Amino acid sequence: MLELANVNSGYGETQVLHGMSFTARQGRVLAILGRNGAGKSTTLKTVMGLLPTQKGSILLDGMSMATTPHAIANSGIAYVPETRDIFPSLSVRENLELTARRFSGDWTLDRVLALFPRLGERLDNGGTQLSGGEQQMLAIARALLMNPRLLILDEPTEGLAPIIVQLIHDKLQELKDAGLSMILVEQNFGFATSLADDVVVVGKGQIVWEGSANEIRADDAIQHRWLGV
Amino acid sequence: MFRHTTFRYLVLAILGAGALFQAFSAGYFGLEVLIEILILAILVLALDMVAGFGGMVSLCHGALMGLGAYAYAMLSSIVGLPPLAALVGAMAIVGALAWIIGAICARSHGIYFIMATLAFGQMAYSYIFQTPIFGGDDGMGGITRPDLSAIGIDLNDSRSFALFCLAGLVLAYLAAVAVLRSGLGRSLCGIHHSEERMRALGLTVWRVKADIFGLSGLITGFAGALAAMHVMYISPGLLDWTVSGEALVVVILGGLGTLVGPLVGAVAFVILKHELSAVTPYWHLVVGVVLIVVVLSRANGIFGWLEARIGARRIFPTHAAVKKVPNDA
Repeated sequence: MLELANVNSGYGETQVLHGMSFTARQGRVLAILGRNGAGKSTTLKTVMGLLPTQKGSILLDGMSMATTPHAIANSGIAYVPETRDIFPSLSVRENLELTARRFSGDWTLDRVLALFPRLGERLDNGGTQLSGGEQQMLAIARALLMNPRLLILDEPTEGLAPIIVQLIHDKLQELKDAGLSMILVEQNFGFATSLADDVVVVGKGQIVWEGSANEIRADDAIQHRWLGV
Repeated sequence: MFRHTTFRYLVLAILGAGALFQAFSAGYFGLEVLIEILILAILVLALDMVAGFGGMVSLCHGALMGLGAYAYAMLSSIVGLPPLAALVGAMAIVGALAWIIGAICARSHGIYFIMATLAFGQMAYSYIFQTPIFGGDDGMGGITRPDLSAIGIDLNDSRSFALFCLAGLVLAYLAAVAVLRSGLGRSLCGIHHSEERMRALGLTVWRVKADIFGLSGLITGFAGALAAMHVMYISPGLLDWTVSGEALVVVILGGLGTLVGPLVGAVAFVILKHELSAVTPYWHLVVGVVLIVVVLSRANGIFGWLEARIGARRIFPTHAAVKKVPNDA
């Protein structure tokens, strides 16, 4: 579905990705793991066109992908950033309607509210009045309203209470069971590998290991060497 | 995003009542001051839409107002359109020009955006100044006001014209609120917060900025046409960049990004100007000191200061915020 081939990218003159290559397959969840500074979030930003691809290619369904963020988003890729980026001066409803009114498909306002009933109780609240967990739910719900073919999530559990991490896990599992393709960058090893089908480990801007979630769960040496688990 | 609060309604009611009282009780000079306030209020309302809600600090809104005045004068005096049709035509012309300026400047930010809009404003000034058909430095006279005698209103009467401008300000305010509360306004709000995020949500950012700039231009063109009707004479001075600078001062003085604040700013600025200029020719110095105090106080203008202290801002319902939830999410 999404293929990166020898991609170099970075911030200005600082190159972070050095020949990044992996494939995310249709209907599966790919987890990108790695230590801090390995280049996981940079990979996602490059896929989303938020950072320029200096070298290499990114293919979506075998075709060269658009390079501008809005064209990439309109091609069916939704991105939930680490910072969540909830618009504080808009209410929950308005944050959702920002995408709901521009995309059509199976994901409607009612459907995302059924997935996250908590948001239904908060519709008239402002973005700044939400807890971290609610903000994450809103960020995911807003992305789903883009009716994506591929959902990309950057550190969805960061800073959340364990009970909310479990809630987010269950919701993402529901999405996976419904057949939604996902790419997940996550520091929480247990969370990521229990959700993912495939795993790639990033070290110093390139893939240092790839395999299935079952394989990495069973391989303590890999976990210790590349993830410090 | 713009929201009304009880305090905002209260301030609007006070301003409206004050304007009506002035319109029905003031003499000729008082009415002229009122008309000046009302036209300035429409201009700063339009400027607040882009600067306050979109972060697009424009230094060409004075020029856009001047173009509105010239477009109205040309369409009514030279082309021969009825004044009301000329008014609509002037708004459409300025709206279209503003859309083009917004589209071109949309990719720049901060100081570069300000300089780009200043450049457009100065280009408009030079063009009007150097083109003979616009009268050059001599300007254009003999501009007429709409004829509403069919409904018993004589706009050549200052009181009637002041009420006409007040109705115009109400319409402009309602239009600005409608735009800012629409999907377009929400998108602008998102862009102001994070352009990158809005792009990643699939939005064509430049288009939203251009659309809002165009709609703001439409309202600015309306202010320009009213300014032409008011004085019945126009000159290139209307397009000078200092008019834009003065409008920006009024928006900041009143309260950026509040829509109500700039109206308060327009009242404060014009009254300060008239009262102080009667006492000293250095009235600009006093206005400058007031502006510095307002900026250094870190309050969002006069209205922002009042709202923070008296209004106890309740933009979103607080009862829902403390609604009992089953866990610590």
